Amino acid sequence: MNLRDILSPFFVWKRAFEKPYSINTLSAPRPGAPAYRGFHKNDVSKCIGCGTCAEICQNVSIEMVPVATAKDGDSGLRPKIDYGRCCWCALCVDICPSGSLTMSNAYTWVEEGLDKDVRDTFCYTPGVDSKPWDNEPLGYKKPDGYELLLLDRIPMPHLSPEERLSSFVELVKGYSRELAIREADRCIQCGICTATCPAHMNIPAYIKAIREDNIAAGLQILYDTNPLPGVCGRICTRLCEDVCALSHRGDAISIRWLKRYLTDCVEAEDYKDILKTEIKPLGKKVGIIGSGPGGLSAAYYLANMGYEVDIFEKTAAAGGMLRYGIPEYRLPYDKIDKDIDFITSLGVKIHYNTCVGKDISFDDIYKRYDAVFISTGLFEPYFIGIKGEDNEGVISGLKLLSDVTEGKEVSLGKHVVVVGGGNVAMDAARTARRLGSEVTILYRRRDEDMPADREEIDEAYEENVTFITQAIPLEINKLADNRLEFIWGKAEMHFEEGAKRPQPVLIEGSRETLVADTIIAAIGQGMNFAWMDGEAFANIKFGKWNIDADRWGRSSDQKIFIGGDMFNRTADAITAIADGHRSARAIDKLLNQ
Amino acid sequence: MKKLYDILSLQFELADFESKRSDLAFCKVKASQAISLLTHLRDIHGYTHLVMLTCVDWLEDKQFQLTYLLHNYATKTDLGILVFIDRDHPVMDSLHHLWKQGRVYQRELHEMFGIDFPGSPGVEEPMILEGWQGPPPMRRDFDTKAYSDETYSHRPRVQNEPEQHMKEQLYSED
Repeated sequence: MNLRDILSPFFVWKRAFEKPYSINTLSAPRPGAPAYRGFHKNDVSKCIGCGTCAEICQNVSIEMVPVATAKDGDSGLRPKIDYGRCCWCALCVDICPSGSLTMSNAYTWVEEGLDKDVRDTFCYTPGVDSKPWDNEPLGYKKPDGYELLLLDRIPMPHLSPEERLSSFVELVKGYSRELAIREADRCIQCGICTATCPAHMNIPAYIKAIREDNIAAGLQILYDTNPLPGVCGRICTRLCEDVCALSHRGDAISIRWLKRYLTDCVEAEDYKDILKTEIKPLGKKVGIIGSGPGGLSAAYYLANMGYEVDIFEKTAAAGGMLRYGIPEYRLPYDKIDKDIDFITSLGVKIHYNTCVGKDISFDDIYKRYDAVFISTGLFEPYFIGIKGEDNEGVISGLKLLSDVTEGKEVSLGKHVVVVGGGNVAMDAARTARRLGSEVTILYRRRDEDMPADREEIDEAYEENVTFITQAIPLEINKLADNRLEFIWGKAEMHFEEGAKRPQPVLIEGSRETLVADTIIAAIGQGMNFAWMDGEAFANIKFGKWNIDADRWGRSSDQKIFIGGDMFNRTADAITAIADGHRSARAIDKLLNQ
Repeated sequence: MKKLYDILSLQFELADFESKRSDLAFCKVKASQAISLLTHLRDIHGYTHLVMLTCVDWLEDKQFQLTYLLHNYATKTDLGILVFIDRDHPVMDSLHHLWKQGRVYQRELHEMFGIDFPGSPGVEEPMILEGWQGPPPMRRDFDTKAYSDETYSHRPRVQNEPEQHMKEQLYSED
């Protein structure tokens, strides 16, 4: 070893005083290109936690972590990204259904503290864990004109408005196999809809069954949570579609029409084979009052559990509002019968033309059965509350609809005025159009405030129904020619803080007149307990309008359960079905456990 | 280039001539004749440059396809020679004596596809997969996921499914 070898390490030290060749990126940052795929950003208020980013990630680098409480349309989960795995391919950004996930052009991140949990090292939840690039405007965003999701709904074939007015034929034609599979193919299977569906139907599972063309499996999935799928496939209020992940940037999946497709694919006589119901009788009896969706649903599940079920129905046919409140062109009677026939085939007995309180007493039923489920619905139409309402020619929307269902001769005359903006009002107006009348709808608030389904409103427009909004009914007078003079006033909208809808207030002195042959009031329905009697009636606690019950529909008398429109606030078929199912389980808990 | 093919056909068993462009064509040759064809092309026909040597895994046909791409600077044309070898016994004659860089390509193909080139210097040394235990990773039957599951430990993670998570939070009592 010579001297040079010993000294040479020290020569290196002189370099310490020279200008370095390397660049210190922290003190002299070099920004990424404008569309650089750098660290992720997430607009957490827009993100719905559908997990599609995690699903598409080829490196399994995205984990969905709970950061907020789940609510309708938002799972409360947010993507946490592991930068030990991420390859910055940006598929997650490109597919993001809400468009919340983007990338900044930042590409340097020094993680300090390696004593951290290994789960957190080089991992963060964009938008939740704050990072210097959170507000960086540059970076990668999904380019326009390129789409990984199928955002456009497969159009549903409809009858033309002209064809519709000439008959009561069902106006929605239904998907063919090919169209249904194409529509099912759009579903990203996130399952956000399942929580919103009142019956929590396993929507992704049955859509998958359609996609795989496995109709039998699809039907079984439907019946797990809904024994009236043929009905719901037509008239469901489809809250699920409102929260569909695809609805954020495109059209929601036609969940309702896909359900309809499944039930239309199976002939009534094949239901038994596919659903393979094996019933072991328990020797206990449950009485159900009302054969609407709530009662039928409870009956189906109770019968499956082995209970002997009797339904008491005051009219000559089952279905309640499904049959008497929904016109045939939206829900054909044979489709209601198909669902109901399957339920009765399980041994459920329906006593028709049996009005509780008249033909049989409530007390009798209470004593005869081990439990009683009440779902009588809302069957008492509200009055408008104006002078002259008792004139002949003023009828309720419900009366018109049920008369048409029963096949009664209905004559409405040339001009019809419908008061109201809900589904019953639309159905009554459109039924009147089919009976040949000119129809005007009067509604108190604005067009966008109408509680009816948008689809029904739009179809009413297509069928040439005239709408007068912001109109308050004032009085009805009988004219000499037996026609009716309908006086109404214009209203202005008062917006109160916190209120969902504005309050209509009559403009002083406003007074308009319409002449009509028939005036149809469709402003809602209420309930009535005049039919209840006996010891049980005396025992049940009532609230302001209704029987007090918990979320399972259990009243203060442990044998009595309630459900359906009289119990829930949404007052639609699917919620009634959910109530029936829930109460059936509660009844089973009471009687069998 | 068809003319060249016809001339070569007199001496070698060629097949499947395919002209992709006026300056690019491919043809097939028997493995046993490949090295002498390449030598011939280099020394007689001016294809002095080996652009690349690569491999395609025809798993279903149980074959590896080796593609030798040559360039002629005088005519500015490229000629690709395709050679098919048995996938179950992947051995091919080496060309390192024709082009020195050939040994690098052959080392890479040995590592990525498990093809042996006997006599090629250092052919068994790893190129990038130091300490690799598994099967050659570019073979199409290599299961990346299974290999990484076996070989590496996982960072612990919980995958919350939105549907299940919402059920637990919103309606688990139902």
